[in-house]
Amino acid sequence: MKSQIKQLHQQLVNKDISCTALIQERLNALKANTNNTVNSLLDTLALDLAAKVDAKIANGDTIGLLEGIPFGIKDVYMVQGTYTTASSDLLKKYKSAYTATAIQKLLDAGAIPLVKENCDSFGHGSSSENTIFGAVKNANNPNLVGGGSSGGSAVNVAKDYTVFSIGGDTGGSVRQPAGYNNVYGLKPTYGRISRFGLMAYASSTDCVGPIAKSVEDIRIVLNVMSGKDGKDQTTYASTEISEESLSNSKDIKTVGYFKNFIESEAIDPKIKADFLATIEKIKAKGIEVKELDFFKSDILVSTYYTLAMAETASNLSRLDGSNYGNRIDDKNLKESYAVTRSENFSEETKRRIVGGNQVLSQGFSDEIYLKGLALRDSISENFENDFKEVDIILSPVTPGTPPKIGDSLKDPHAMYLSDAYTVGFSLGQLPTLTAPQGTETGVQITAARNNDELVLKFANFLKDTI
Amino acid sequence: MSKIMTVDVLSSIKGAQPSEAVNKLFDVIKNAQPTNNNSFNNNHNNGVSLNDLRDDVVIESSAIEKQIIIENFPKAKNGYLVVSKVIEE
Repeated sequence: MKSQIKQLHQQLVNKDISCTALIQERLNALKANTNNTVNSLLDTLALDLAAKVDAKIANGDTIGLLEGIPFGIKDVYMVQGTYTTASSDLLKKYKSAYTATAIQKLLDAGAIPLVKENCDSFGHGSSSENTIFGAVKNANNPNLVGGGSSGGSAVNVAKDYTVFSIGGDTGGSVRQPAGYNNVYGLKPTYGRISRFGLMAYASSTDCVGPIAKSVEDIRIVLNVMSGKDGKDQTTYASTEISEESLSNSKDIKTVGYFKNFIESEAIDPKIKADFLATIEKIKAKGIEVKELDFFKSDILVSTYYTLAMAETASNLSRLDGSNYGNRIDDKNLKESYAVTRSENFSEETKRRIVGGNQVLSQGFSDEIYLKGLALRDSISENFENDFKEVDIILSPVTPGTPPKIGDSLKDPHAMYLSDAYTVGFSLGQLPTLTAPQGTETGVQITAARNNDELVLKFANFLKDTI
Repeated sequence: MSKIMTVDVLSSIKGAQPSEAVNKLFDVIKNAQPTNNNSFNNNHNNGVSLNDLRDDVVIESSAIEKQIIIENFPKAKNGYLVVSKVIEE
């Protein structure tokens, strides 16, 4: 798949299409869609912006590459004046007072936002069923889940309703739905893109991530959103990734994969066979492949959820209905807090808040939370040693194929375990891309911290190899 | 200080109970053996150096930002936020 951004840009410049017609066509498709991807349409804003782009083109002015390109935004990003619900009852009428840095950078580049996209409430889920807007349906089979938590975003890209969408990835929430809907989805290195204006789930792993149909479009959008931001002090300055740099993969000499991921009993036999066939194709290209040892899946999942629940319990404690949100008044302030939170949070969100407060409380924190932090250190150390041996780590995205709608809600523990292959890279804060190749739900390409360029380079190589 | 607070109180969620699905995750952690036992986040230090802190200045919100914040008030009277009666314990 070639860059859709470049293709549409050329069509706009050549006046083959008007920006207004392009935006209207995509808005119509979003409005008519039956996959439950839309929380709210930004039609007035989008059409106003499109008219401005058309006026510029008519005037003979030069337009930037992203000018007039329609995109989607997961409904956990602040965009001033728009509803930002996090797919929750608590915030169903909440309006953003300001705009997230990553989104502002795209707006400044002229991209046109069409839609706030359906997702798991506060990012709490792996199927986009934990939402007040109805379960997101998979782009390829509407009986299956869209994946989560950025399900609406991945489905919109897969269905061509948006050219690209901005998801959020805390433990796999961009990569897994990208895999389930066969599109590209990147979780950049933690800190490469500002989190300012992204509703916090687990702050130490939350990442802004683009979803698109080509490596080139991922590169373009990543470059625009990256950079240091005084409003998120975990951000760092990064250099732009050039198109030319991605064409040459000669510096990738060694690829590793985690043996225990593939030998696990939980992996679908077809995903296993397809993954191993992909490894053989890579070897045939003269790249050395090494088997690596890694932590057991249940330890990865438990470490991630322990820390993520502790962080979300803390982050969501601000949501009490005092200053904003769907307040339910009771006899006093404390009762009002409790009733508001009990009535407005979903079962899954409550489960995670309670879990987080369990591990943060006296008597449990040493045994669980602090040990979780120590395990995270060990996992990071493991990655550091691995990247002394290999340039890239390749892994499946998920052990299985997308479940049927309704199945994940019945068994939350099984849903947590389905994140086995994505959460480790989140804990390591590493750049990881889902490429829609190699297995039915794609493969993940991971490099060392700050080496997002190498990830995209390998994705280009893979595109030409298999 | 010695008062025991249950998770429903800590979480401000009525009737909340620890769940079996989540406890299963915690059991794995209890039995796991980290290769080191420090818990100081050594390998992913995202702290900001003192030289790199942003200026400690007050930034005035825009008029539209203030207006939206007021629109989001669950209950307002004469442009002010109304809160429930505060209790003291």
